[in-house]
Amino acid sequence: MRGFWPVFKRELFAYFVTPLAYVLILAFVLWQGLHFYLLVRSFAGQAEASIDQGPVQAFFGSDVFYYMSLILICPAITMRLFAEERRSGTIEPLLTAPVSTSAVVLAKFGAALVVYAAMWAPTLLYLVIMRRGGEIDWRVASVSYLGVLGIGAQYLAIGAMMSAISRSQIVAFVLSSILILGFFLLGLGEFVLDEGIGRQVCSYVSVWSQMGELSHGVVDSRRLVFDGTLVALPLFVTVRTIDSWRWG
Amino acid sequence: MSGGRTGPAAISVDRLTKRYGVHAAVDGISFEVARGEVVGFLGPNGAGKSTTLRILAGFLGATSGRCFVDGHDVAEDPYAARRATGYMPEAVPLYGEMRVREYLRFRAELKGVARGKRVEHVGRAMELARVVEVADTLIEHLSKGFKQRVGLADALVARPPLLILDEPTAGMDPNQIREVRALIKELGEEHTVFLSTHILSEVEASCSRVLVIAKGRLVGEGAPGELASRVRRAPHLVAILNGARKAWKPIVDALPRARLLAEKVLDGDIDRLEIELAEHDEEGAPLDHGQLVETFAEELVNAQVGIRELSIASPSLEELFASLTQEPAQAKPREHGGDA
Ligand SMILES: Nc1ncnc2c1ncn2[C@@H]1O[C@H](COP(=O)(O)OP(=O)(O)OP(=O)(O)O)[C@@H](O)[C@H]1O
Ligand SMILES: [Mg+2]
Repeated sequence: MRGFWPVFKRELFAYFVTPLAYVLILAFVLWQGLHFYLLVRSFAGQAEASIDQGPVQAFFGSDVFYYMSLILICPAITMRLFAEERRSGTIEPLLTAPVSTSAVVLAKFGAALVVYAAMWAPTLLYLVIMRRGGEIDWRVASVSYLGVLGIGAQYLAIGAMMSAISRSQIVAFVLSSILILGFFLLGLGEFVLDEGIGRQVCSYVSVWSQMGELSHGVVDSRRLVFDGTLVALPLFVTVRTIDSWRWG
Repeated sequence: MSGGRTGPAAISVDRLTKRYGVHAAVDGISFEVARGEVVGFLGPNGAGKSTTLRILAGFLGATSGRCFVDGHDVAEDPYAARRATGYMPEAVPLYGEMRVREYLRFRAELKGVARGKRVEHVGRAMELARVVEVADTLIEHLSKGFKQRVGLADALVARPPLLILDEPTAGMDPNQIREVRALIKELGEEHTVFLSTHILSEVEASCSRVLVIAKGRLVGEGAPGELASRVRRAPHLVAILNGARKAWKPIVDALPRARLLAEKVLDGDIDRLEIELAEHDEEGAPLDHGQLVETFAEELVNAQVGIRELSIASPSLEELFASLTQEPAQAKPREHGGDA
């Protein structure tokens, strides 16, 4: 992991020294706020919450459109990672330092993940607010956050890969949005397809069933392995892509 | 070559080739740079200088051939090779959103300078590259010349034994150029320096040896003064004459070992001729070009050809490259120092 730390630190610095991270976080917080508000209103109308549909479950697992914001936000976080280095040429001093390609990729991915996590941090406040109104199942809450991080890791890995493949940030953004949207729609196939292998695949990539399970505190180890693969594979392609530039 | 006894050569390149598609940007070049040398890599645009330097710095992979930096194979032992090298790329790309000191600290850490030594290393590099006054300026606000110097400071920061600089003075004003050339001389005392340029006077100012590359091949090698004198020793005679071609042609043909390179009709009977003069006569004795021009003028006057202009011009660098490319006999790398 030669060069992981300095690159990781510099990437984080680059996010927070330019307005991009703040704009994304603000947009997401507003979106979150709206969602939370609607949720609270609907629960306020209910006389009594059922056990498996508490507000935490609802917040993380209820409606699929909530996660659609990630289709735009994740690519926006990752679009600059490699495309910008290549456009400006800074990739040359970076890769001629004694660093390994995988360290560079992991460092950049790690920084993107931290920004993503920072984006979700304000939602902890909602938990605090919800606690005033009743009990919070902390196990459910922490598993839910794990799921949110897992989904983000997949989307960010796809975004990092696209940023390495494309020459411009805009192209990287569009391509990764399309790819993530594709995954997302594939996940919806779970509700459309009949029983069978197709449906199983769909339910695996489905954000909805994933968050549904997690928001009830269920951690499926097969799912974790599958999630890990969905993160590792794009990152592996990214490393290979960058190494291939040397032979271009 | 000198310096071979004190360990491996700083740079050793063996039949290096880099192809882009079918086009060979670098075509089977071999050379060595001994430790402590300051070597210039001279060539016209598109000659393959940057490509060679990028391969040495570990940014590009070679199509075939091997390169060693400080004894490490750049393809097989890339980390050791890169650690031994301070590389400054051609356009000096930098992170504009960082401040100079910040950037150099980042680079020092990236290059594995121990935490306790970073401040000192960065300070020294900034002093050497004369960027102390802009240490806390955002890089994007710097002028081109200062960016160039930040790139130089970056190359220096980990104190590598070898510096590879791609056109270090490009985009600088004359004062800055003079400063950087002086700096390169200074650096040459502690580091091996391999720098590319397409300016002959640049290598004359700072290098102890020059490699000349054209169209991906090494076409010449020697001390800079030697190359410069080779330019001066192959002068061209430019003549603008007023007279019939059949009147002056025999006189031109009679010039000893001269070659009519170009003739152009300027207006009616007025022609512009460009004649390449040889350096030596058939016996190998040096030709006296002054005497030659005198005789030439006399004969033209006798033949009643009007002389509008007669001058001896040194060929441009492009012509030097052209002549070096045409004379592969002179391109033998071992020959340098012998014919001066
Ligand atoms: N990525 C690339 N793809 C295709 N051809 C390339 C690429 N990079 C360089 N070339 C070609 O390789 C040749 C050598 O280029 P190189 O940049 O090494 O020249 P140079 O000597 O550094 O020239 P300059 O003085 O302009 O910097 C040129 O003909 C160039 O067009
Ligand atoms: Mg170049």
